[in-house]
Amino acid sequence: MATDSYRLGVDVGGTFTDGVLINESTGEVRITKVPSTPDDPSRAFLEATGRILREAAVDPKQVSYVVHGTTVATNAIIEGKVARTGFLTTEGFRDMLEIARQIRPSLYDLQFEKPAPLVPRYLCFGIPERLDARGAVVTELDEENARQAAITLREEGVEAVAVCLLHSYANPDHERRIGEILREELPDAAISISSDIVPEFREYFRASTTVINASIRPIIGRYLDSIEERLRADGLGAELLVMQSNGGVYNFEAASERPVYMVESGPAAGVIAAAYVGEAIGHRNVLSLDMGGTTAKAALIQDGTPRITKDYEVGAKASADTGSGRGSGYPIRTPVIDLVEIGAGGGSIAWVDSGGVLRVGPQSAGAAPGPASYGNGGTDATITDANLVLGRLNPDYFLGGELPLQPELAEEAVLKNCAEPLGLNLLEAANGVVEIANSAMVNAIRLISVQRGYDPRDFVLVAFGGAGPVHAAKLAMETEVPLTIIPMSPGITSAMGLLVTDLKHENSMTRIRRIDECDPAEIESVLDDLEERGRNSLVREGVRGSDMSFERHADVRYVGQSYELGVSLPPGHLDAATLTGVSDAFHVEHERAYGHKALEEPVELVNLRVMALGAIARPSLREVGAGNGSDGAVKETRKVYFAESGGLIDCRVYDRYRLGEGDTIEGPAIVEEVDSTTVIHPGTAANVDRFGNLLIS
Amino acid sequence: MTHGSNAFDPIRLQVVRSALSAATEEMAAALRRSAYSTNVKTRQDFSCAILDSRLRVVAQAFTQPVHLGSFVELIPRAIRFYGLENMGPGDMILVNDPYSGGTHLNDVTLIAPVYYPPDGEMGEPVAYLATLAHHVDVGGGAPASLGAFQEIYQEGVIIPPVKMVVAGEIDHDIFTLVLAQIRSKRETTGDFRAQVSANLIGNRRLASLFDRYGLDEIMFYMDELLEYTARRTRAEIAGLPKGTYKAEGFLDSDGFTDKVVKLVIEVRIDDDGVFFDTTGSDPQRRAPVNSTYAMTFSGCAYGLRALLDKDLPVNDGFYRYMNVTAPPGTVTHAVHPAPVVGGWETEDRLNDLIFKALSEAVPERVPAGTKAMQCQMGFGVIDPVDREYKCSYEALAGGYGGRATLDGPDAVQAHGQNTENAPIEETEAKHPVRINRYELVENSDGPGKHRGGLGLRRDYMFPDVEARFTILADREISGPWGLFGGKAGKKAYYILNPDGEARELGSKLTLDLMPGDVVSYQTCGGGGYGPPFERSPELVLRDVREGKVSPERACTEYGVVVDTDNWTVDEAGTEALRLTYAES
Repeated sequence: MATDSYRLGVDVGGTFTDGVLINESTGEVRITKVPSTPDDPSRAFLEATGRILREAAVDPKQVSYVVHGTTVATNAIIEGKVARTGFLTTEGFRDMLEIARQIRPSLYDLQFEKPAPLVPRYLCFGIPERLDARGAVVTELDEENARQAAITLREEGVEAVAVCLLHSYANPDHERRIGEILREELPDAAISISSDIVPEFREYFRASTTVINASIRPIIGRYLDSIEERLRADGLGAELLVMQSNGGVYNFEAASERPVYMVESGPAAGVIAAAYVGEAIGHRNVLSLDMGGTTAKAALIQDGTPRITKDYEVGAKASADTGSGRGSGYPIRTPVIDLVEIGAGGGSIAWVDSGGVLRVGPQSAGAAPGPASYGNGGTDATITDANLVLGRLNPDYFLGGELPLQPELAEEAVLKNCAEPLGLNLLEAANGVVEIANSAMVNAIRLISVQRGYDPRDFVLVAFGGAGPVHAAKLAMETEVPLTIIPMSPGITSAMGLLVTDLKHENSMTRIRRIDECDPAEIESVLDDLEERGRNSLVREGVRGSDMSFERHADVRYVGQSYELGVSLPPGHLDAATLTGVSDAFHVEHERAYGHKALEEPVELVNLRVMALGAIARPSLREVGAGNGSDGAVKETRKVYFAESGGLIDCRVYDRYRLGEGDTIEGPAIVEEVDSTTVIHPGTAANVDRFGNLLIS
Repeated sequence: MTHGSNAFDPIRLQVVRSALSAATEEMAAALRRSAYSTNVKTRQDFSCAILDSRLRVVAQAFTQPVHLGSFVELIPRAIRFYGLENMGPGDMILVNDPYSGGTHLNDVTLIAPVYYPPDGEMGEPVAYLATLAHHVDVGGGAPASLGAFQEIYQEGVIIPPVKMVVAGEIDHDIFTLVLAQIRSKRETTGDFRAQVSANLIGNRRLASLFDRYGLDEIMFYMDELLEYTARRTRAEIAGLPKGTYKAEGFLDSDGFTDKVVKLVIEVRIDDDGVFFDTTGSDPQRRAPVNSTYAMTFSGCAYGLRALLDKDLPVNDGFYRYMNVTAPPGTVTHAVHPAPVVGGWETEDRLNDLIFKALSEAVPERVPAGTKAMQCQMGFGVIDPVDREYKCSYEALAGGYGGRATLDGPDAVQAHGQNTENAPIEETEAKHPVRINRYELVENSDGPGKHRGGLGLRRDYMFPDVEARFTILADREISGPWGLFGGKAGKKAYYILNPDGEARELGSKLTLDLMPGDVVSYQTCGGGGYGPPFERSPELVLRDVREGKVSPERACTEYGVVVDTDNWTVDEAGTEALRLTYAES
């Protein structure tokens, strides 16, 4: 036993810090939860780590990997607690961050505000120099001017500097020279150059990405350093990794240099876990639904790979009028797993609006006071309260009985806030709350699939988070997803995602070239260069050559279009025929995404990308033994409301831990486990597979 | 399913509401992503809507509130004009005619009747879908179809309601004919295709809703959604102070003469709704500033909508409680053949005037004067590389007005307009233009307890080609007004060759530029709110520290002395200065 090796995942969230430890050979999982320590998140990190190793009696030396998911980066930005940062750009464009996109984040709000720039105007400088769109020098760099700016920034006491010059994606020379000058004048500052971070065109987005990177580098660097120091002192020699927003991991050193890649570290883990759960039983097209206390997040995994977006804003608020909140946050152009997040979680509040219609969310009762049934003084009716009223949750077995729920408080809240104002009875109102929350989640699933050109019928739904399995089966019916998978212990699925991914480094560069006119050798040399950068990162992380792989993609569009679609490039030598293949693939993709294509139109490359992957062996999932028939797992029979059955009906309640492979449950039924409850509707049935997953169809 | 009165299920209503709104968002996403032009894709100058069988707007996804009224006016008229009996499944009607209920010619709308079941016996349409996109060029006397003309026929191709898509296929003859009038053919073709695609997606989505819930059920809840919105609108309006409020103001020029253009707005709030009346506004001009009725309606709709709960849906139920009187033949309701390309300048100013009028009724809710102009820029060049005729269009931001508790944001769009800036790198990669500057205009703030936002400067140069360039804007004489003791923001400047032999240009003209010529836009600042001497000295210090307001201006306009060596407020100096001003 002492020779077994382990992987440790630590997920620092807003309320709790979760630790998850997995035995690499047996797949046995152990979890721990400690309160987060927002003033210094590393404290909770270390406490969770210490506790879980102690409880499992695992020596720190037995840990082979530590993977960290964290909201530290996002919080620093949202709370404006970033390092004092300077910004250098081309002369004439000093106000790039102030002007941003010149839009209001909310159409009808006369009291709106633009997000405050992360760099105050007096720390922004325009440096004489200019390139054109092809990267040719129009005005030489005025090095003396750049040096003066650097000296001023030093005198102002900045800790970080971001540099973003116009058209630097096409020619990084001026930016690099400024970088050298800055390092000479400010040897201790964190310097980020846009052509290193994300050499893609559209200056404000590149600048914003670079500024975010620079301004959180000192903070993330200190944070990761302090964790590393303590872990090493405890004798832990494992590789230390951080989850990135794109679902890959990178080591602490890379994370300290490019922290902008980890801003959506937390939610990414859940999607990776969903992909893993699906993959383990042969499903590579997965819709992932993670429903927790305050929100529900939907993502899409195609052929084993989560869909990635580069159109993302840190700290964006969902707005009531457009749903997008465009312009309310800080855009980044680094890859982020594409998530549709809506304000529908267990704690989301149901209310009746001034037009007499029942609404759910986006306000949440949060952890305190929480749903009315928690008995902590909350009086609002929440989704959890509605599920309790409907008999779907067991008041004596919520969180395994750790948090007894008070049904009478839930009933009172639903009656007072929903049923009475609407003239409905208690059950109808509670069912209405669930139905409205479901309709919002159905829309989220449609947004992530149909709106992106995917048919939900070609996918399976993997649902997790404490509340996901309560709603999942119904959502699958509404969206015609043929199969729903509820993994074991849905409450920790997300943290599990930390332990089942690969090292990833994406490098990209803009090269706007018509495919029918471009020089394949030029494209190939850019790709080789990007691959080399990724290889170097992997080498620094100690990855063996045999574990490395590289995926090439291009963002492609019709000439004249302003939005690109990603097309994968074949490996190996690139010639005119390969490029024609890229055009063909683009036409197909365009038709899939937008329903039309234009074969006669010329196609152009915009961005080239190379993803460098360093494979990490997957731990095996733990298998459950063969079942003895589900009858033996029945805990009780209770009344549960199902609208399709016309009201409360007798429903068998199963203990998930007593189910085994091959067991079958006919709906209506409820399956309970410590961290979640699965609802199986009338007319559907669940099968238990060898990993204990509930497969509902 | 049958329903008695009041038999609606409030839960089903919310489900249908969110499904309809998701459907319009899906249309918008399809349009945005597959469009070609920077104006549609990046600047988001488009809108999408679902209308019921009675041609009432039930759900709308729009990024630009100026399009609010366009659909209300335009679509019913276009469908009636074309005739229901002449349409069938898969057909789509194209229209941009300002005198059929439209706006300016660039805003081209594509309307699709929806039949259900799609392959069943053909009855009347059960719903309609519409997409509106601002096309970067629709022909006419100047590139980007932007210019100071004297009649509509010079402004571009006029498209009365015609069937451009027949049973799902674009009609080659009509499309070719329209396209022949247009300069930027590649972008236009792509944007039209994107509009078709958005309507197809909307159609698919509605059909699946009908499949899921039943046609009658959805139609019933479309009705109920309108009733629900009407109920809430009425309740909200009941909370506004009743009375009649009036304001008047001026556009600085009409684009053909230097005569200012008088605009008058009266807002009457009573138990029956909110009534807008532009009587007293100047007669229409043989110049581009004329607003169509649909444009004026949009401006009033925005003015009202911004005073109500942000959560309120915008559909026919909302419009029931507003009424717009705009006498035909005035600049607020142009009649044929007046030109209308600059009508949005008028519409924007009406919006500002509505808030000025209401500052008496709801002083804590409205801003001081804002940019309140579209501030448009258009150019065309023959690209020396591929010989294609390329056009570019954008609208520039300015300062927003100060509010009761907040400063006016710097460099932001106002009111019905919320278009993004075109990225400089994207613009320079697509066009042989160079943008030399894009920065805030320092000291352009309207002083106030809560100051107005700063305007912005953007300089365009064509290094090695000749270009035809149009400015269509305003504010070259007067900046946005202040409120309650706040002062006006700095006016706008349009300057040819600002760093050489500078020449101030008017706000509405087309010029031929030689290689190397520069046109500089320096847009206005927003008006201040409340007396500037009541402004917190700490905020003045911040503005001075950031270089937005000069130390001299801090003294003269705000009575604040800033120690620029230590970046502190000289409190004694400030007190003395403010006292001196108070006494004088």
